[in-house]
Amino acid sequence: MSDESDHIPPEPPGRPPGPRSPAPMGFFILTLVLLFLAAVYFDHHSGWFNAQVYHPFVNANELEKYQPKSGEAALLARGMATYERVCGVCHGNDGAGKPGQAPPLAGSEWVLENGVNRLTHIPLTGLSGAVDVKGQTWNLSMPAMGAALSDADLAAVLTYIRGSWGNKAGPVTPAQVKAARAAVAGQPPINGLQALKALPE
Amino acid sequence: MNEIEKLDSEIDASCRVSLLALFVGAAFWLVVASVLGLIASLNFHMPEAFANCPWLTYGRVQPAADDALLYGFCIPAGLGVALWLLARSGRTPVRGALVPFVAAHLWHLGVLVGLIGILAGYSTGFRWLEFPRGASSPLFYAYLLLALWAMMTFGARRERATSPPQWFLVAALFWFPWIYSTANLLLVAWPVRGVTQAVVAWWFGDNLLFVWLALVGVGAAFYFLPKFCERPPQTFYLALFAFWTLVLFGSLCGIPQGAPVPAWLPVASSVAAALLLVPLLAVVIVAWRAVRGSVLSKWDHGPFCFVGAGVVCFFLSGLMWMALACPEICRVTEFTWFVPAQAQLQLYGFFALTMFGAIYHILPRSAGFELPFPKLARAQFWISLSGVALLVAPLAIGGVAQGRQLQNPGISFAVISNSTLPFLRVSTTGQLLLLLGNLIFVLNVFGLASAWKRSVLKKALALVKAPLETAEVQA
Repeated sequence: MSDESDHIPPEPPGRPPGPRSPAPMGFFILTLVLLFLAAVYFDHHSGWFNAQVYHPFVNANELEKYQPKSGEAALLARGMATYERVCGVCHGNDGAGKPGQAPPLAGSEWVLENGVNRLTHIPLTGLSGAVDVKGQTWNLSMPAMGAALSDADLAAVLTYIRGSWGNKAGPVTPAQVKAARAAVAGQPPINGLQALKALPE
Repeated sequence: MNEIEKLDSEIDASCRVSLLALFVGAAFWLVVASVLGLIASLNFHMPEAFANCPWLTYGRVQPAADDALLYGFCIPAGLGVALWLLARSGRTPVRGALVPFVAAHLWHLGVLVGLIGILAGYSTGFRWLEFPRGASSPLFYAYLLLALWAMMTFGARRERATSPPQWFLVAALFWFPWIYSTANLLLVAWPVRGVTQAVVAWWFGDNLLFVWLALVGVGAAFYFLPKFCERPPQTFYLALFAFWTLVLFGSLCGIPQGAPVPAWLPVASSVAAALLLVPLLAVVIVAWRAVRGSVLSKWDHGPFCFVGAGVVCFFLSGLMWMALACPEICRVTEFTWFVPAQAQLQLYGFFALTMFGAIYHILPRSAGFELPFPKLARAQFWISLSGVALLVAPLAIGGVAQGRQLQNPGISFAVISNSTLPFLRVSTTGQLLLLLGNLIFVLNVFGLASAWKRSVLKKALALVKAPLETAEVQA
């Protein structure tokens, strides 16, 4: 069952088997060229191991370019981030509210009032008892979710909910929040529709 | 019979029981994989046929078929070839052949447990790592034992200078325990969090399916092609270059371009895949220099055809792998039939064909019997090759067509899925051909094993029936 060809020809020890072929210079050059092109491609597209950079962005600078820096856009972005962290869990990231949890903010008459005193008051002290929102009565209890936020953050959130999901009302300034916070210091939650209406608009 | 031939047959005899255990089991799982693959494929043509049997639904049968092929056939066949080849090229018989024999059975037991686990619904859910925990530890320890024995044989080699096939196979022996333990620890035992799981699973799939298979298959091809052409290996440094670039670049691929991970991961992956061009070309050139001038005269030599076709398929599936990592192409082909087409070309076209050639060469020498059906083995080459072509080409073409339609939001998903059906029908025909080819392979391997078993029985019977020595009778 053995055939003549079925063994490796004996080699002198220490020498690689087979005739000494020349080193494959062409392959070294091809590899170096490919490595260079690969490095250029990696440099342009990878974001250099930055964990924040995802496709289709290619580096941190480009990503930074799309981040709002100042003005109304920055305020809205800050408001949106805070809203989705603090408020969106109950009121929904779309502001539509959730049955049995929280009334809608989109189109809510309390959000869209011209004066912002009542609106600013609610997150600072909380609100319990029955209130009417968009023709529906909600008998729930909201803790003082905004009391721990800074004036600037709460102002940004209120500006965001007054200007999003079809709402078109003016911004709330940090100064207004600061004044409201001083006025409500130590007060219990607003209790019911009458108490809410009793507040100055 | 001269000294060298005597040593060769001594080496062949020393790994006989281990190789028979590995190859007979591998042949069995190969047919199981074809049948499961066929059932999976039938799910597309007759969706209601197996709908009431959860064991035969697509989500279970398809991974079971893939794992039966990869873990049931490819790995034990590769380990058997590696054991024989390291013994032969090191001119050392395998000592203590009982250990790899037992380890081979432990491996096949692990595959059995794993396949039942997948079909019963206990898959881990990670691609190419679907076997549940109860199966992965026997597999791991069986591999360790087999690799240890192959390494001991390699360490005791009489020919101290090493040759290219040995590097490839020794690297493969180390590669699998590393990736398999890492993937199992990070995904199954103590799962990492979030998207890191997907990254580990992609890394594992690439290292097993591309790197491990390439190391074993290319190593075997580098050994057998010069041997079949009856000449010493022609290239040393180019093979060295192919080896290092393959393990260096190949192991970094696998992260799809659309993956929801930080951009540097898919970018590094696609860059590594582009650099795969170097080892692919190097392998083809080494193989070509080995066979140059003898292709036509060797065309009637079965094992040569298998291994040669395997190298061609390796190059093609490598190109498809590179295409999958190219952002422009990946955007179209991701989530289409192109991806399984590449995997099937790698598993069947490259690895299985190479292993068929190697086993048809090794097993008759090791068992000491001729192949029972050599003409059928010859026919199997053409049947399996056309099976691979009919399985892979329609899936690849259909995948591109499907991907182009998916880019168009005006076409509904159901319409696109329906339009792939003609391609799937042709590929099912390819699977039928592959099943036929695999049955021929099983017929030959089982026939050889039973001839050997009959001869062992005959010897044992003769020993029992032999008249007692006079001295014993007097005692």
